[in-house]
Amino acid sequence: MVLELQKPRPIWQIMFSTHHTDIGLLYLITSLAFLFLGGSLALAIRIELFFPNIEGTGQFIADSMTFNRIFTVHGTTLIFLFIIPFASAVGNYFVPIMVRYKDMAYPKLNAIAFWMIPPAAALVWLGFADFTWYAQPPYSIISSPGPAADMWIFGLKILGISSVLGAINFVVTILKCKHPDMSIGQVPLLAWSLLVTSVIIIVAIPTFAAALLMLLTDRLGLSGFFNPAMGGDPIAYSHLFWFTFHPEVYVLVLPAIGMMYEIIPRFSRKPIYSYNSGVFAFVLLALVSFSSWGHHMFATGMSFTEKTVFMVGTLAAVPASAMHVFNFIATMWNGRIKFSSPMMWAVGGIALFFAAGAGGVVNTAMPLDFATHDSYWVVGHFHLFVMGTIAFASIGFLYYMFPYVTGRMYNEAWGKAHFVLSFVGTILVFFTQHVLGLYGMPRRVFDYPPIPEWIVMNQIASVGAMIIGVSMVIFLANMIYSSGKGELANTDDPFGLGGKYYYPFEAKNPHH
Amino acid sequence: MSGHSNWPEWIYIAVVVALMTWVGAEAWNAERLVEEVPEGAEVIKVTGQQWFWTFEHEDGTIEIGELHVEVGKAYKFEIMSKDVIHSFNIHDYVVLMDAVPGRINTVWFAPTDVGTHDIQCREYCGLIHYNMRGTLYVEEPSS
Amino acid sequence: MKRMVGLFLVLSVLVVIPALDLAFAQGDEPGEYLDRRVIIWNLFFRMMAVAFTVGAVVAGTMMWIVWRFRESNPKAKPTAYEGTDW
Repeated sequence: MVLELQKPRPIWQIMFSTHHTDIGLLYLITSLAFLFLGGSLALAIRIELFFPNIEGTGQFIADSMTFNRIFTVHGTTLIFLFIIPFASAVGNYFVPIMVRYKDMAYPKLNAIAFWMIPPAAALVWLGFADFTWYAQPPYSIISSPGPAADMWIFGLKILGISSVLGAINFVVTILKCKHPDMSIGQVPLLAWSLLVTSVIIIVAIPTFAAALLMLLTDRLGLSGFFNPAMGGDPIAYSHLFWFTFHPEVYVLVLPAIGMMYEIIPRFSRKPIYSYNSGVFAFVLLALVSFSSWGHHMFATGMSFTEKTVFMVGTLAAVPASAMHVFNFIATMWNGRIKFSSPMMWAVGGIALFFAAGAGGVVNTAMPLDFATHDSYWVVGHFHLFVMGTIAFASIGFLYYMFPYVTGRMYNEAWGKAHFVLSFVGTILVFFTQHVLGLYGMPRRVFDYPPIPEWIVMNQIASVGAMIIGVSMVIFLANMIYSSGKGELANTDDPFGLGGKYYYPFEAKNPHH
Repeated sequence: MSGHSNWPEWIYIAVVVALMTWVGAEAWNAERLVEEVPEGAEVIKVTGQQWFWTFEHEDGTIEIGELHVEVGKAYKFEIMSKDVIHSFNIHDYVVLMDAVPGRINTVWFAPTDVGTHDIQCREYCGLIHYNMRGTLYVEEPSS
Repeated sequence: MKRMVGLFLVLSVLVVIPALDLAFAQGDEPGEYLDRRVIIWNLFFRMMAVAFTVGAVVAGTMMWIVWRFRESNPKAKPTAYEGTDW
């Protein structure tokens, strides 16, 4: 790979490069920067909720509008500017190597897709909109202040185009550019996960792109698609939005599972238990991801029949997800597992994946949705996915990639401390939030009445968030220090596992 | 991939599918029970707007921010909104339904014990969403 | 196999109890309304019982694997693939 710090190149050479590892590096650095930015917003939210505001005390954020803007940008940032670019980073580094091609299929398109992210991020961050990450009309039309809201709409529009371009590139690279000796049944599961993800993006994103345009014209007063005052229907937006963003949930989680498929066999020193069932479960999840969007909308006044259909569609995703878990467990069975940081993160991620999935089953069991909907339960539930599963797999994979990217080893003890603190913190924050939801605390609130149970649980959650914050500081220090001063890695076998890695090295990519 | 037999995975999948079928059936049955509005339920019209709740009883009484009901009666809420989407929630009675402008959503409940409970908005609706709260008073039957 | 039998035992009990619960929840006297809290929280606690049972099995299996197959376990032995270019 690039080994920038050992053989430095001028920064503009990387910025204007179209080589897949350079673009991968740009994606990687961007996504990590936004992980820290979005994470610090989360800390601000948790500090604000540590105490209820009683007569002006216990207040950290100036006013509720600022708070609303913070959680909106927090969600938008971590989903669109951390998780998705991180998967693109991994894909850019590894997909061409896995399918044995010299680069991505369309290198220039690849660079364009990346360079759409900074302006989009600037729109989101400079605007700082307040209408939550799903911009529900009519609030987003009649009540949300501009120009922040409009900037958010344009930002998301650009990000949508960027991910469609990236997805086209992955599909073509994997299907058309793979080595002629390689059948599609030999493509590694990480590349499969990106292939399936890309297909979901191409199918799902246009719906949201259309909804965003309609939202914009509604805001400008030119149309009334979602504005009841002009005869529109706000629930139509919910359908369009969730038709894109329920599948998008799988866009987030499938690459994470793919990363675990790379880490777990490697560190168990044993091939994956069943490659075929992994591929089958990926394809099955892609299909059923389109059958469950309505479960976000049970409380909008859906009929019994609609709810039943979407509940069945949601439950259908469980067996396929469970197949992945089975595959991981069966792979570790009889292995000789080395618990370096990547493996710890991957195993921790699988453990939390189960809890997240079980919470999801509760949400979709129709009447229970009315106990959990829009409460802190839901916050805890989806954070177990995005943080507990996806971010865990991603961070694990970052540790795994680290010697390839920098040619040096990260500090293993710090990596383990990072894992342990994050794991404990994650459990404290998000399991507590589940219980808090059962006690009825609504999400997206700037303040809450001083109910003793709520106060205690909010404080436990905030302490957990602080622990994650500390672990992330260790992480950042480790990454910065080790990429410059870390031990030189044995680039043939950095983790001392034996066997064959996917080597993304200069030596194996001679034209770089 | 290699030629090992895969029967443990099939048993495992069968168990997962059986569990999910059980969850689906139970949820379906429970939802069927709670959705059926009993005959003779009193209608209360609930209107959400930024950032308070208005209640209109069948006899025309209007209450703002608080709601008085009686033990032993069934009430059917007809929920609407004047501006943006809100969500009408009495968590202690697991009553939750969105107030969507342009639609009337219904949900019913029958209070069982005298007491007071919180009413809150559970869908983000802007500046004072966090304090769009009310109180439910459950009282002894008047007659 | 023992674990499976236990699991199914728990599950079958969990299916019988709710049927009885619902029969009581509905109230047989006229003018008595069904209590949505009873139905919903019953369903919730039954599902939690199953989720925690299954969760214990999954987490237990994972913990055992992690303990048994870690390379520092005295019983650890090289896998059949080590030393090959798999």
